[in-house]
Amino acid sequence: MMNRKDIAVNKLKSLGERIIEDVNRMNVPSIKVPSRGTSNIVYDEERRYYVLGDRYGRRSLGNVKQIKKIGQMVYMANFCKGLVETGKTATLRELYYVSEGWDIDFGDQQESNIVGEDLEVTLGMTREDLGLMPEEDGASVYGKLTIQEDDVEINALKSGKSGYTISPTIDGVDFVDHDVQRVIAVETMGMFHRMVQEKAYDKFDTLIVGLKGQAARATRRFLKRVNEELNLPVYVCNDGDPWGFHIAMVIISGSAKLAHVNHELATPNAKFLGVTASDIINYDLPTDPLKDIDVLRLKELLKDPRYRDEFWKVEIKKMLKIGKKAEQQSFSKYGLEYVVDTYLPEKLDAM
Amino acid sequence: MEREAAELFEEFKELTASEFFRRNKQMLGFSGKIRSLTMVFHELITNSLDAAEEAGIQPEITIDLKRVDKDHYILKHTDNGPGIPEAFITRVYCTMFAGSKFRNIQSRGQQGLGCSGCVLLSQMTTGKPARVVSRYYEGEKLKGVEMTFKMDVKKNQGLILERKAVEVKSTGVSLELHFKDVSYSLSEQGAYEYIRRTVIANPHARIRFRDPTGHKFIFERATNEIPPLPKEVLPHPRGVTADDLIFMAKHTDKRRFRSLLTSSLSRMSTNRVNEIQKITGIDLNKRPKDMKWEEAEQIVDLFTRMDFMAPPTSGLIPIGKAQIEKGMREILNPEFVATTTRKPKTYRGGVAFVIEAGISYGGESGRPVGEQKRAEIMRFANRVPLTFDQGSCAITEGLKSIDWKRYGIRDLENAPITVFVNIVSTNVPYLSTGKQSIAPEPEILHEVRQATMKISRSLQKYLRAKKSAQEEAMRSKVFETYVPVILREAAVLAGKDVPEYDTILAKVTRKPKILGDAHDE
Repeated sequence: MMNRKDIAVNKLKSLGERIIEDVNRMNVPSIKVPSRGTSNIVYDEERRYYVLGDRYGRRSLGNVKQIKKIGQMVYMANFCKGLVETGKTATLRELYYVSEGWDIDFGDQQESNIVGEDLEVTLGMTREDLGLMPEEDGASVYGKLTIQEDDVEINALKSGKSGYTISPTIDGVDFVDHDVQRVIAVETMGMFHRMVQEKAYDKFDTLIVGLKGQAARATRRFLKRVNEELNLPVYVCNDGDPWGFHIAMVIISGSAKLAHVNHELATPNAKFLGVTASDIINYDLPTDPLKDIDVLRLKELLKDPRYRDEFWKVEIKKMLKIGKKAEQQSFSKYGLEYVVDTYLPEKLDAM
Repeated sequence: MEREAAELFEEFKELTASEFFRRNKQMLGFSGKIRSLTMVFHELITNSLDAAEEAGIQPEITIDLKRVDKDHYILKHTDNGPGIPEAFITRVYCTMFAGSKFRNIQSRGQQGLGCSGCVLLSQMTTGKPARVVSRYYEGEKLKGVEMTFKMDVKKNQGLILERKAVEVKSTGVSLELHFKDVSYSLSEQGAYEYIRRTVIANPHARIRFRDPTGHKFIFERATNEIPPLPKEVLPHPRGVTADDLIFMAKHTDKRRFRSLLTSSLSRMSTNRVNEIQKITGIDLNKRPKDMKWEEAEQIVDLFTRMDFMAPPTSGLIPIGKAQIEKGMREILNPEFVATTTRKPKTYRGGVAFVIEAGISYGGESGRPVGEQKRAEIMRFANRVPLTFDQGSCAITEGLKSIDWKRYGIRDLENAPITVFVNIVSTNVPYLSTGKQSIAPEPEILHEVRQATMKISRSLQKYLRAKKSAQEEAMRSKVFETYVPVILREAAVLAGKDVPEYDTILAKVTRKPKILGDAHDE
């Protein structure tokens, strides 16, 4: 079986081959680029995440408005091929600067980012596979997991109190060994450290993942891989507000914006642990009133196909009804240990 | 101490026309340093053009403006007209209202105080006499006379200081005047611009001008056709006022008022006169001098309610679209010109007028402001440039009301465009005594718009064609630049040789529309 690197190089090469072949046949070359317009982003009920529909646009070498884009794509593909072949990576920012030396450059980085996405959808590969890395690191991981990054072995239990930081090149990482039953991802690093200090990794045989807000692409890729390759259930525990819900949902069902790579990023089996509106009531948590913008967002979520499960509908409506939200750290009301000693075990049991 | 009314009116009755205007020079248009000089140019040039045309001569004017001190200028103005017989020289230059009469004729629009007004201004600001050389035929003999004279303001006549006969070779008049309190300017209101515009509207004239810096400008004539002289036409009933009727009644030799009406007004038949008599009950057989003001008012009021044929238009002599184009091409050297002369129309129901317009693009069209070009509007009435009071003028208003975006001009203000509009009429409805702006009569506004929109459509076509030619060139360049680069990169990507691509390049550059019409997103 071909590895990801060979697949990437072949796909990149095929883009050039198609163009050369067209010219040899005296046809004006054109490239089919799947459309990323909102009308072409559809929710796939079976796969439980957003995917691109089958609409596409055609970029023709014979169209004065499109020829530049083709040139940029081909140049970028060449650059990516070089990256993959030499095992290097570059950030989008670096790519933009490199492009300044090309015969067809970009007006600004926004333009090069868009062509990068064009290349992703056209080849059906994530940009990480093409050697283009996001700027930001992924989440922190703590627990009994050993991985290999190039020739370095890393134990996520022995990487300091902040754990192992998921690298943007997560697909180059191999899972060597683990001794856990599950993965719990939490929204804030405050909760991450609480769980480390209360030894949650021992108590629940779990990996602790500190998301640091909205999960980075590398984090989502990591969660999908541990879920599918190591067969570990993934739980997400966030603040009890629409924003916390959605951080969980993007992990579970992917984002609309990245519909073309959701098959690499979404973890449909992941479960939302809390904080739910029911938790707020059942545990009598300290709360803040919902702001107008929270209410608006909750109402938007109700219309979102990703939230069509009965569970979500009930929780969102309940939150709207009580008009309150709560942070995950509000469990400290009952003492610092409460969340690990009482809340999490009860919730995990109920799953 | 109080003064008696009689004492006050002592001064009043002594006031001659010259004395009156000496005290009220702004009424001659002499207000402001720049405007005063422009008005002098206007009066002298207009006179020279009129004189030459009446004599059937192609006008040629030479103007030399010297600056001797800060505000002190010497103007030498020479034309090639028929000249002025010696006996009339001081009458022309020193008497206000010489030969004013009620004439319904298309003219460059003088009140009859043109040249004498300039002499008056010269004398008032410098105290210096005027010098004239007149060259004219008397019988078969060419005569020449040189005169220096002053204006006796109290008597409204000339005072000759020196006079001598001179040898001359051709006809014409040279006038030399000193001025203070005036200023030469290159602005839109200045003397230079006045000349430039005059030549555009009078392409049969040639003007040479030396400005105070010594720079010589030669505005060549663009045509040899001398425009036909306008004919006097009878005024239309709708175009007269009660005062006009009384004026006519006083100066007529007709015995009865009814024959005065039929002989002095156009479209006035005996049937019409009978109708007027029947409706108003005024006895029209009475002597014209017995016509009362109230009766005249009644008649004029009835005119507005009666149906008349439109006024005759035979008296209107437009410049003509071909001549306007020649003038604009000669002076503005533009990329593109479109001109039009509309059919005669009437305003206020009884005054005939013609609107003609031209639009030019590129070259020296537009007014340079720094590096950029602003659109300029050149307004004319009977070929005379109107350079002041543009704000309320019918021409300005008419042009402003046009939606220029519809003609492919996104921002009229900032386009290298000159718009030329001339109104031709026996009776141009000026807004004020300065005669620099035209009353926004609805019919005039409409004609200005129609004329300008028509030529703007031609400009739009030109601009479109130009743009698509540029785009076509740019397109080809895009392909010629990108195709080799893309195929080189694609070959590297595929790990193959660069294919032969001449056919593909020819395909994409020449037949853009068939290929690549993508259905993107």
